[in-house]
Amino acid sequence: MDQFLSLVVSAVLLAGLYAAMAYGLGLIYGVLRIVNLAHGGVIMAGAYTTWVLFTRFGIDPYLAIPIVVPLAFLFGVALYKGLVRFLPRGAAGGVQSLLLLFGVWLVMQNVAYLLFSGNDQAIRTSYSTRGLSLLGVIIPLNRLVVFVIGLLTLAVLHVLLTRTYFGKAIRAVAQNPDSCTLVGIDVERIYTVTFALGTALAGLAGLLLSTLFAFNPSAGAVELLKSFVIVVLGGLGSVVGIALGALVLATVEVFSILVLPSFLTSAVGFVLLVLVLVFRPGGLFGQRVLS
Amino acid sequence: MLTRKRQRISGAALLSLLLLSACAPGQQGSEPEEPAATAGSEAAGSEAPGSEADVAADLPDEIVVGATLPLTGEESRIGGFYKEGYELAFELENEDGGLEVGDQTVPIRLELLDDTTNQATAVSLAERLITQNGVNALLGTYSTSLVEAQSTAAEQNQIPYVNGGGAATSIYARGYQWVFGNLAPIELLAETEMTWIEEQQEAGNLPTPAKIAVVWENTSHGKDFQKGITDFVEASEGDYEIVVDESFELNGRDFSALLSEVRASGADLFMVDAHLPDYITMQRQYTTAGMCHDVITYGARGPEADAREALGDEGVAYILSAVWWNAQLGAEGINKEFVDAFTAKYDKEPEWYHAVSYEAARALFTAIQEAGSVEPEAVRDALAALEMESLLPGGTLTFPEEAGFQAQYPFVVQQNTPEGESPIIYPEDAATGEGVAPNPNCAEG
Repeated sequence: MDQFLSLVVSAVLLAGLYAAMAYGLGLIYGVLRIVNLAHGGVIMAGAYTTWVLFTRFGIDPYLAIPIVVPLAFLFGVALYKGLVRFLPRGAAGGVQSLLLLFGVWLVMQNVAYLLFSGNDQAIRTSYSTRGLSLLGVIIPLNRLVVFVIGLLTLAVLHVLLTRTYFGKAIRAVAQNPDSCTLVGIDVERIYTVTFALGTALAGLAGLLLSTLFAFNPSAGAVELLKSFVIVVLGGLGSVVGIALGALVLATVEVFSILVLPSFLTSAVGFVLLVLVLVFRPGGLFGQRVLS
Repeated sequence: MLTRKRQRISGAALLSLLLLSACAPGQQGSEPEEPAATAGSEAAGSEAPGSEADVAADLPDEIVVGATLPLTGEESRIGGFYKEGYELAFELENEDGGLEVGDQTVPIRLELLDDTTNQATAVSLAERLITQNGVNALLGTYSTSLVEAQSTAAEQNQIPYVNGGGAATSIYARGYQWVFGNLAPIELLAETEMTWIEEQQEAGNLPTPAKIAVVWENTSHGKDFQKGITDFVEASEGDYEIVVDESFELNGRDFSALLSEVRASGADLFMVDAHLPDYITMQRQYTTAGMCHDVITYGARGPEADAREALGDEGVAYILSAVWWNAQLGAEGINKEFVDAFTAKYDKEPEWYHAVSYEAARALFTAIQEAGSVEPEAVRDALAALEMESLLPGGTLTFPEEAGFQAQYPFVVQQNTPEGESPIIYPEDAATGEGVAPNPNCAEG
């Protein structure tokens, strides 16, 4: 029973982290129809930025959020204005966007190798190994904070997208950009801000990851793949769908250890991805990913 | 019109980015030289061996040894360590004019390229070194996967290949005749740790039978570790019981489910084989979960400065580790000479990576000298018959044919202290401190 409860807690906390990783990718894909392969690179960059702020300036990782997120946002604006906006829209731009953003990721990775070498880095704070005991299960403090930030991000995004004019404009552009142009919505501005927002969320995910794991310049690949699985699972209907997709993936991965060897837990997520794409291409909770 | 313009611009941007990204890894630290005109090296490779005088007459003006290392990419940090070890060996050897081959002294040069931590690059650069640069022998790259791929090129081209970067037995189980490794197998690492544990068990410090949770990375490295423990347990006739035997993927993000299984098993000994990032991540989750075992090990990982920084001295206290070499062995003899020379050149203490790379180069030098030739067959035979005084534990380096030309020697076992040190605790003749079992952290609750 203790182990079951412990696995439930692990799954829920892991879902918070996974959701934080996937929001940015889902948002950009949902609106711009671009699979942002640079997402992993931005996560890595977010982790390094947090590490630099912590080691050089002594800024606590969570207090660095107001620095890291705007920096990632500005990077997203620059990336969009400098490269992504020149891509053809729709299916025609699919391959080009994949290649372009994969190239951006490689450049970011190699810049990180130049700046930081291949050393593994980690952030240790006074609370890094603290935990709270609840019903006999120890809940790691850091993971709990990451989970709460994941939930807050979900709430903020949900309010932004459903209750604000700007959010409604984003959703409208996602549905029909041409009609939006006709009714006076600045589509290019919406694209810029959405891409930047997605990049900022990836930066936030990098910050959160840096508080939990060791990382090096190759970090971000696993996160990108898992984010992709979550976006497909959750569908493109809403950020709530992404959060639920994260919960499904985390639960399946964590509980699979009861029936499968541990090294197969990652593969379980990808099997799930294939099954969803084949039998429910719209995702478990949203719109169709593949038409 | 606008679309076409966009396509042109984005195409140009894409091309620039891809070119930039493709160039980046190779430029950092690789400094590839043009194919060296190593006078006589081609002749050395093609002439049949003859008398000592004939061989000496065929010696090149300079012996060139090729090598690739991961100087950029994921393994760049360790690749840099191997570079330092290789370069020190070449520098020391050339201090007196070079290698004494027959009755001649011939300078020896290292031609080092950057394989960017990429298997395909490691193979193609090795082939380039052999076929275009005409090197006389190869020193290996670092990490099991790269050595496993690259050594095939050496075998196919029949050129001596000595490496200190691949420990997995799978590299040496292929029946290759030209590949020599001076990293003792991971199975021996596990066996050495288990031998120390057995001593503690016999002293009444650990329970009998002791329940073991074996957790290993899903690589040939991890499989060897698991096999070493399993073999030891099977031979122990009931002194141990394996209650968890699980593997995990490299660069794991969440070990909570795995740790939960370990906790539920009631294991006494937690024995893990992991690379540094997984060690840091798992140990952090382990500590946070309030877990404790009488003995805890992460295989060869434990005393690294990066881990201490990430987890704190108290977070890594009493972790057991076993390594191929440790600077604490450098109190006398050739170990001291190596440590002194290394410290003088690099102004830091050597790690085991430096020692094994230095020793791989020295083994090749010794073989060339004993062969009295750079003729590949003669050098290979000399390596196969090598018996050299060595820095490595045991004091003698050989490449036994029955082990696929992989060196076999005991590891040195260390244990982290809460004060931030990691004395050698086993074997006794090399010990600089006394090991502690059971883990005092568990008694503190």
